[in-house]
Amino acid sequence: MEEKQPVLELENVSVGYDSTAGMVQAVNDVSLKIYENTIVGLIGESGSGKSTLGNAIMHLLKNNAVLTNGTIKVMGKEVHSMNKNELRKFRWSQMSMVFQSAMNALNPVLTIEAQILDVYRSHYKNMSKKEARARARELMEIVSIDPTHLNSYPHELSGGMRQRVVIAIAIALDPKLVIMDEPTTALDVVVQRSILDKIKQIQKVKKFAILFISHDFSLVSELASKVAIMYAGRFIEVTDSKSLSHTDQHHPYTEGLINAIPHLTAEEVTITGIPGNPPNLVDLPSGCAYHPRCQFATERCKTERPVVHQIDNRDVECHLYDAVRKEVLES
Amino acid sequence: MSEAIVKESSTLVQVEDLVIKFPVRGKGEKKFITPVDRVSLEIKKGEVLALVGESGSGKTTIGRALVRLLTPTDGKIIVEGKAIDEYKGKALNEYRQTAQMIFQDPFGSLNPVKTIESHVKFPLKKHQGYKGEALDQKITDLLVQVGLTPVNEIRKKYPHELSGGQRQRLAIARALAVNPQFIVADEPTSMLDVSIRAGILQLMNDLKDDFGLSYLYITHDLASARYFGDRIMVLYGGRVMEIAESKELIKNPLNPYTKLLLAATPGSESQIDLTNMTNEPPDLTEGRQGCPFVHRCPLVTDLCKEKVPALEEVEDGHVVACHHYGSQALTF
Ligand SMILES: Nc1ncnc2c1ncn2[C@@H]1O[C@H](COP(=O)(O)OP(=O)(O)OP(=O)(O)O)[C@@H](O)[C@H]1O
Ligand SMILES: Nc1ncnc2c1ncn2[C@@H]1O[C@H](COP(=O)(O)OP(=O)(O)OP(=O)(O)O)[C@@H](O)[C@H]1O
Ligand SMILES: [Mg+2]
Ligand SMILES: [Mg+2]
Repeated sequence: MEEKQPVLELENVSVGYDSTAGMVQAVNDVSLKIYENTIVGLIGESGSGKSTLGNAIMHLLKNNAVLTNGTIKVMGKEVHSMNKNELRKFRWSQMSMVFQSAMNALNPVLTIEAQILDVYRSHYKNMSKKEARARARELMEIVSIDPTHLNSYPHELSGGMRQRVVIAIAIALDPKLVIMDEPTTALDVVVQRSILDKIKQIQKVKKFAILFISHDFSLVSELASKVAIMYAGRFIEVTDSKSLSHTDQHHPYTEGLINAIPHLTAEEVTITGIPGNPPNLVDLPSGCAYHPRCQFATERCKTERPVVHQIDNRDVECHLYDAVRKEVLES
Repeated sequence: MSEAIVKESSTLVQVEDLVIKFPVRGKGEKKFITPVDRVSLEIKKGEVLALVGESGSGKTTIGRALVRLLTPTDGKIIVEGKAIDEYKGKALNEYRQTAQMIFQDPFGSLNPVKTIESHVKFPLKKHQGYKGEALDQKITDLLVQVGLTPVNEIRKKYPHELSGGQRQRLAIARALAVNPQFIVADEPTSMLDVSIRAGILQLMNDLKDDFGLSYLYITHDLASARYFGDRIMVLYGGRVMEIAESKELIKNPLNPYTKLLLAATPGSESQIDLTNMTNEPPDLTEGRQGCPFVHRCPLVTDLCKEKVPALEEVEDGHVVACHHYGSQALTF
């Protein structure tokens, strides 16, 4: 069977930041494939490298950041070997991103319409103003905003509406990949949910792939079909999201996250945090970076970086499963 | 209904018909908004009342009034039998010790040029009179209590050297340093990661048991309200929509807004499609009429637009304000 071409393919990607304290290893050897019409969640605590990875995919890294290793392909094309002109055409039309706190990044002195027209006119030189306008209206309807708001300025819209505008701009040119970096974090639950439902609905029609970045575990596990869990720049687990509701055989960090969520309806309401603090990315712990906080850590975890084990639909990077794997191989 | 039962354990905070207005810039004449409109509530000793509602519903404003960072336009706030608006000068300072507020942004409320230690040292000295070795010991105890360890390393650090979770712990330690009876915790975990959030909630829970503290816990996350709150009060557009024991409220929500809030919370079982939900905020203008939820409520009738629904005790301790709470037909 011939394999479908992934929309996004990450192979051993590492990104570092040059800083006065030394090299910050923000993304550390991650690999992942995303196919069309799927939503993949990316979760991890603050500072784990989520936005850095998103920016690397868009080839929009900050000046002091370097892609130190690996390849990033979108629709089979290597993003980091494109020249400026190719990139300009590729971005927004093939891949786009809703940036973290983007709803506050809309241009305050331009109307919503002007900001949307900008996107069309910069990519389609021959598009008439009339057509661009018609498209802008259509776009507003897709994200459920009354087109009269095309004449509004950002400050005249609520946070939820501004966020819908930002999403509208990201999908304006029908890209194949949309990266959404915490698109709903600043919003309250009702608005958040209505936007997520909207995203799902649009995706069903447009069939693009979404990389959905968040630190809200329950949200991502509901929205995405597959979830990558990032810790200290690495994917310590990539799992189908269904298995996240069961507590079977996950990475200890994933289990920690599952146990940290207060549940709305379950009878048992005890929750437990993960002890310890996030790691220092300039001076990463040896072996498995999670070992100082892991209750199962052994001597080996301190010295040896674990390999990835495949358990059912999960890739788990942890020594704990060496034994499990051995059992499976022997039986 | 059953007055006798309510008064069983002693009341610490009693709020009656609280009204707060703010002037807003209008064209020409001076206008007001009323983000808190005749709110009544009660918090017993050792109890956690969770205050839930969407952004702009008036939660922080109520919290600020309770610790007297803000003077209400109307209504009464009685704490331990005394109306707090009567406090002045020294008595006001004393009141501010018994009632502490933990703010949403852990960084904004800390002093960047002061060490961790001095954040708790000053209140311990000034309000509780600790000195010398006893003071030193108390600082250590307090930092250990909130999980800021190793203490010897951490006490000399500055706020920017702490993680988000550690900063929030420090804010809690500082609130505790004056030995309060009552804490208003305003979204103390919304800026934090899940892994750290759970730790803070646990900590506040332990402190409640150890010190017999009462809390007003402000949040828009129903799951954590259910975890930490004994009772939950739901606010919309400055008005109380529903109050019940936490479990009861989640199991048997009666107000359409509570139902909507529940459906929107991740992990909820009820599935309401919110794809075409408007994101219109409630009307807060002074003199508005009817139920604040009319713009978004699927059960809305003319009655709702004309008349504010009164709070009605439907079952023991379960109070709801809605003209149509009995109706089952709910589609958003
Ligand atoms: N310009 C920079 N120079 C040096 N270090 C940086 C720079 N930008 C980010 N970092 C560091 O890189 C790491 C990863 O940052 P990143 O923004 O990718 O995290 P994140 O997972 O998106 O976190 P959050 O959930 O808080 O948005 C962090 O430790 C951060 O401090
Ligand atoms: N000092 C003030 N002057 C004028 N308006 C104010 C003032 N403080 C609050 N408001 C307004 O009162 C309303 C209620 O605000 P409040 O901060 O109490 O909401 P909240 O429920 O805490 O919301 P959030 O969840 O976003 O923190 C808002 O419309 C706000 O803009
Ligand atoms: Mg980020
Ligand atoms: Mg608030």
